[in-house]
Amino acid sequence: MSPRDVLAELREAQVAAPADVRERVRLLAAADPTTPARRFTWKRSLVVALPVAAAIAGAFVLTRPSHHVKDQLQLAKAPPVLSTQIQHGSAAAPAFVPSARSRVQIVGTTLSLRIPNAQGVSDAVKRAVQITTSLSGYASSVHEQTHGKTASADLTLKVPRAHVQQAVSRLSQLGTITAEQVSVTDKQAGLNATDREIARLQKQLAATTGTKQRAALTSHIQSLQRSEAQLRRAAHYATIHLTLATPPAPAKTRHHGPLHGVGVALRWLGIGAVYALAIGLPVAIVLALCWFAIRLIRRRREEALLGR
Amino acid sequence: MTFAQAAEAHLDDVYGYLAWFTSDRFAAEELTGVTFERALRLWHRFDPERGSARTWLCQVARTVALDHFRSERRRTRREQLAAPLEAVDFRFAEGLSPDLEAALARLTAGEREVVALRVLLDLDATGASRILGISPTNCTTRLNRALKKLEEALNVAA
Repeated sequence: MSPRDVLAELREAQVAAPADVRERVRLLAAADPTTPARRFTWKRSLVVALPVAAAIAGAFVLTRPSHHVKDQLQLAKAPPVLSTQIQHGSAAAPAFVPSARSRVQIVGTTLSLRIPNAQGVSDAVKRAVQITTSLSGYASSVHEQTHGKTASADLTLKVPRAHVQQAVSRLSQLGTITAEQVSVTDKQAGLNATDREIARLQKQLAATTGTKQRAALTSHIQSLQRSEAQLRRAAHYATIHLTLATPPAPAKTRHHGPLHGVGVALRWLGIGAVYALAIGLPVAIVLALCWFAIRLIRRRREEALLGR
Repeated sequence: MTFAQAAEAHLDDVYGYLAWFTSDRFAAEELTGVTFERALRLWHRFDPERGSARTWLCQVARTVALDHFRSERRRTRREQLAAPLEAVDFRFAEGLSPDLEAALARLTAGEREVVALRVLLDLDATGASRILGISPTNCTTRLNRALKKLEEALNVAA
């Protein structure tokens, strides 16, 4: 018998299931609740969920500004706390300088003004000196520097204490107040103590007859009187530290192109891929080897089982 | 396609496959019932895009048959110690010559399986290899080897 004959005879063979088996299967099929095929299987859900998650992550990365840009934006948009005073600069009245003329007090004022441009700074310096002079004061020091469109000046002005309020008021009109500080130190108590000390020493001097002792007491009294006079002179003038400056140059913001977000996303994806590769590759290799080994063993066992 | 339609259409195929695979009518009848019970439970997993219902049912039937072979092997080992099993007279199909029946009986279960799939059920190499879990080339090699054994057995009988 040829192979073709064998095949032909085998193909003609008809095998039909017995009636009892057919009936059993029919009963089974009749019990089928005929639930329609689930349209949303977990695999299909995964196929949809993964791109959606990736899209959301991508959108998040693309729409979120980087920290660098955010900081710059904050710097550009959010001016210093005194920016409200800049807007209402003229309305911002200078601080009141409390001063009792009868007492000896050291008055110090720090005034920072914002000037619109570099030329304005130069003009304001001249005007500040004029104001000081007109109030019987003088400029102790003037430092002015210009750098391109920005300029700044630091002036130390000495104004008679009686005119300090007027001076501050007039100086504050040169620009917009950005900072102001007034300090008043009362020296009257110290002076009174010094006066009492001098009076005591003078009494002691009148009662002393020794030449050396008289000379020492006289020297001490003169020293105290000098320091007292020095203090009174210092207290006569109030010190005004005036700072004039143009607004700081706006920080250069980096204008990213429309594809910058894509680049950032790709960079993070690349980093993630490297990590995944470094960690996942050895694990994947081990898993693959295990899978191959299990498959080989199972096939060998199956062949042995069916080889009988 | 509903389960009832698939069962009606492929009951004979599944039974024939199991009958030739096991060469045991009673076992084939029992395993056919078990196969369709299991298929009913797993019917929601059946995806027509991945293969025909017949292929899928044969895959289920093969799993059931392998479980049967394993339990049979364990049972045989135990019982052969007490009393050797007697050979059961089995006819593979109507219309086969006694020599071919005898030759088929001499084949191993694995060889009968590939003959059943490729010749009796007339599956192509791809479909049969999917059920067997091997490559199509390997499937064809197995079939040729089985047919050669059949031919040799028939020549000896002649």
